[in-house]
Amino acid sequence: MLALSALGVAGAMALTACGSSSSGSSKSASGGVTTINLLAADYGTAGTSNSSQTYWQGIADAFHKANPSIIVHVQTIAWTDWQAKTTAMFQAKQYPDILEGDAPQEFAADNLLYPLSDVMSSTTVTNLIPVFEKQEETNGVAYGAPFTTSARAMFYNKKLFAQAKIQPPTTWAQLQSDAAAIKALPGGNIGYDMPLGPEEAQGESLMWMLGNDGNYTDGTGKYAINSANNIATFQFMAGLVKAGDTEAGPATQDRKVAWQDFANGTVGMVGGSGALIPIIQAAGKLQSADYGVVAMPGKSAPLTSALAVHDDITAFKTGGHAAQIKAFLDFAYQDKYQEQFDNEYDLLPATTSASAALSASNPVDAGFLAAVPNAVQYPTNANWTPVLAKIQNTIGAAVNSPSAASGVLGQLQTFANSSN
Amino acid sequence: MTQTTDAHALESVSGPGGKPRGRRRSDGRLRRLARALEPVPWVAPATALILFVVIWPVIAMFQTSRQSFDSMGFDHGSAGWTNFTKLFDEPVLDGVLIRTVIWVVAVVTITMVTSLGVAQLFNKQFPGRKVARWALIAPWAASVVMTAIVFRWMLDPNNGALTVLAHDLGLVKQFNSTNWLSEQVPAFCWEIFVAVFVSVPFTTYALLAGLQAVPSEVYEAAKLDGASVFRTYWSVTLPLLRPALLVACLINVMNVFNSFPIIYEMNGGNANSSDATTTIFMYTTQQSSIGEAAAMSVVNFGFIIVIVLLFLRASKWNSAED
Repeated sequence: MLALSALGVAGAMALTACGSSSSGSSKSASGGVTTINLLAADYGTAGTSNSSQTYWQGIADAFHKANPSIIVHVQTIAWTDWQAKTTAMFQAKQYPDILEGDAPQEFAADNLLYPLSDVMSSTTVTNLIPVFEKQEETNGVAYGAPFTTSARAMFYNKKLFAQAKIQPPTTWAQLQSDAAAIKALPGGNIGYDMPLGPEEAQGESLMWMLGNDGNYTDGTGKYAINSANNIATFQFMAGLVKAGDTEAGPATQDRKVAWQDFANGTVGMVGGSGALIPIIQAAGKLQSADYGVVAMPGKSAPLTSALAVHDDITAFKTGGHAAQIKAFLDFAYQDKYQEQFDNEYDLLPATTSASAALSASNPVDAGFLAAVPNAVQYPTNANWTPVLAKIQNTIGAAVNSPSAASGVLGQLQTFANSSN
Repeated sequence: MTQTTDAHALESVSGPGGKPRGRRRSDGRLRRLARALEPVPWVAPATALILFVVIWPVIAMFQTSRQSFDSMGFDHGSAGWTNFTKLFDEPVLDGVLIRTVIWVVAVVTITMVTSLGVAQLFNKQFPGRKVARWALIAPWAASVVMTAIVFRWMLDPNNGALTVLAHDLGLVKQFNSTNWLSEQVPAFCWEIFVAVFVSVPFTTYALLAGLQAVPSEVYEAAKLDGASVFRTYWSVTLPLLRPALLVACLINVMNVFNSFPIIYEMNGGNANSSDATTTIFMYTTQQSSIGEAAAMSVVNFGFIIVIVLLFLRASKWNSAED
C-alpha cells in the first residue's frame, strides 16, 4: 500500500536517514522489563518535529509510563528509502515486533505474523473502519489492521473557474467543457491534470474507471482490466487528451508534478487527497478560499464511492511478545493519537470513533471522511504487486489515441492472467 | 581439480633428486606433465578472476532466466522456457528490437560524422584552439545522468529553456501544449541528440589523436603529386585514420548499445516501452517479472557476443593490412 505512502513525502524531497540505528532481535528482557521493537514509516521529515519518530516516541513514552514493564523501541525510516531498507532487513531475518507501513498479505503467506485477534483487543478491532479492515484478511483471517487512510476527491481552482465563469463539473461531459474553458483562458493553464505516469497511474486510472462502473476486477475478484466499460473510459480520456483539455503528455506525467502545478495555480482540476493541502500551503499561491474539493465526476453522475487507500500495522510472531504488542496497540489506537497523526500529516483515521471526532473538528477532512465508509480500494489478488508495476509502466499508453485503449488494456489483462 | 593435480606433480618432481626410482618411464611422464603445468600458478589468479566476475554471473543469469520468481524475489522453482516464450510473446518486443538497431546505428553514425569534422577543425591552428578543445571536454566530463536531466528540464512543456525559446520564436503557440518527451518520435529524436552530444567528445579526441599521428611528409608528397584537397582527404587522411576510426566506432557501438541513463532519465522509455531500447525494456520488465527480465538479459548478452565477434574480426583484418 505504498500508494498512500508517497503522500507524506510529496513535499519532502531530501533523502533522510533512518531515525535510529539500533535494530536486531527483540529478546531483551532484563529485570522483568520487556523491550518490543516498532518499525514505522516516516511520513514527515526525519530530524524535524514533524518526523513520525517524534510521534511514535511520544506514544511509546506515555505507554511506558503506564506500563513500566514494557519498553517500546521506535525506529522510523523515510518512505523514499523504505522499500530498499526494509527489504534488506527482512532478507536478513531482522523482523520488528510491530511494523507500520506495509500490507500483511505477503508476510502472512510466509507465516511470520500473528493473527490480528492475538495482538489487538476485540473492542479496538470492532472500532476499525470496516471497509479497510476487510482488506487485511488472508483466507478469512485478518493479519493486520489499517492504521492511517486517505480518500480521493477532485480539487478545483476557484480563481480559474470564476475567471472562466464555470461551475465545478459533476459529469464527464461537464468536466470536458470546463477543462476546455480553462484551457481557453490566457496564460497557458491546464484544464484537467491527468497523471498517468509511472508514479501513480493506478490511482488516476481507477478514479476514471469507477466513473463508468468499471474497476480492475469484476464482482468475483477476477481481473477485468479490459472490460468494455474500461475501454470506453480510456477512449473518453484519450479524447480529452487529444482535444488538449489535459496537460501535454499525460502518459509520462507524475502525480507530484501534477499536484505541484495545481498548487502553483496553473491547473483547473486535479484528483487529490488531503496530502495535497500542505503542498498548496507551501506553494503559497492559493489561499484556502481559492480551491474547492468535490467528488470526482463520473460518466453521468459524481462518484458515490471514492477511491481510498490505507497503510497497515502488522505484528510479527518471530519475537514472541503477543501480550506486550496487544497492550501497546490498544494504547496506540486511542482517538487522540489517531487524530494527532491525521492533523500532523493531513491523512485520515482508521477507526470509526476517531473519524467521528475528526469530522466534527476538521471541516476539510470531513469532506474526505464522508466518502470513506463505502470507499473502493485496490485489488488484493495474490499477484497484484507485479500487476501494479505493469500498470504503472504501461497504462499511460492507453490514452495516446482513442484506438490505443483496447490494445493496451488487453495487454495488461493478459499479463494479469498469466503472471505469478 | 587443476590445483590438486598440480600439487601432486610438483611433489613427485622434487622426489627423484633424493630417491632414484626404478620406473623411469612414468618418471619422465610426470616430468613432462609438470612442465606442461608450469604456467598454471601464473595464470590461475587471472583465470579465477575471470571465472568469478565474468563466467559465474553469466551462468547465474542463464539460471535466473529459467526460474520462476515472484515479485518479492522468492524462487518458485524451474520455469523451463516459459520466461523466454513470454518475452517473445510481448507485443512491444518487435518495436523495442527495431528501435535498438535504429538507436545504435543513428547515434554512432551521427557521432562519427560529426566528430570527423570537429577533429579536422581542432587539428588546424586557430586562435583560441586551446579553449575550444577544453570546452569540448565539458559534455564528456559531466555525468551522463546529469546531462540527460538537464535536457529533460530544458524541454519541460511549461518553463523549459528550449520551450521558452521555441515559444519566443513562435514555434510553440502556447505553453503546456506540447510535451516532446511524451511523444514517441520527438522524444526518441531528442534522446538520440543527447546521446550524440555526450559521445562526440570522446570520439573527437580519439580521431584527433589519429590525425596528429599522420606524418606531414605524406601531405607534402600528395601536394607535390598535385592531389586536390578532396583527393588528399579521401586517399591519404581517411586510410591513415582507419585504425582510430575503427576503434572509436566499435567502442561507441558497445557504449551506445548498453546506454541506459539517457533514455531512463529523459522519459523512462515512455509509457508501454514505446521509446525503450532492450536495456531499458529489461529494466522495466524486471519490476513486474524478474524471470522475463533475465531472459531479456540473455538475449542482450547474445547481441554483445555478436558485436565482440565483429570487433575481433575487424581488428584482425586491420592488423593483417598493417
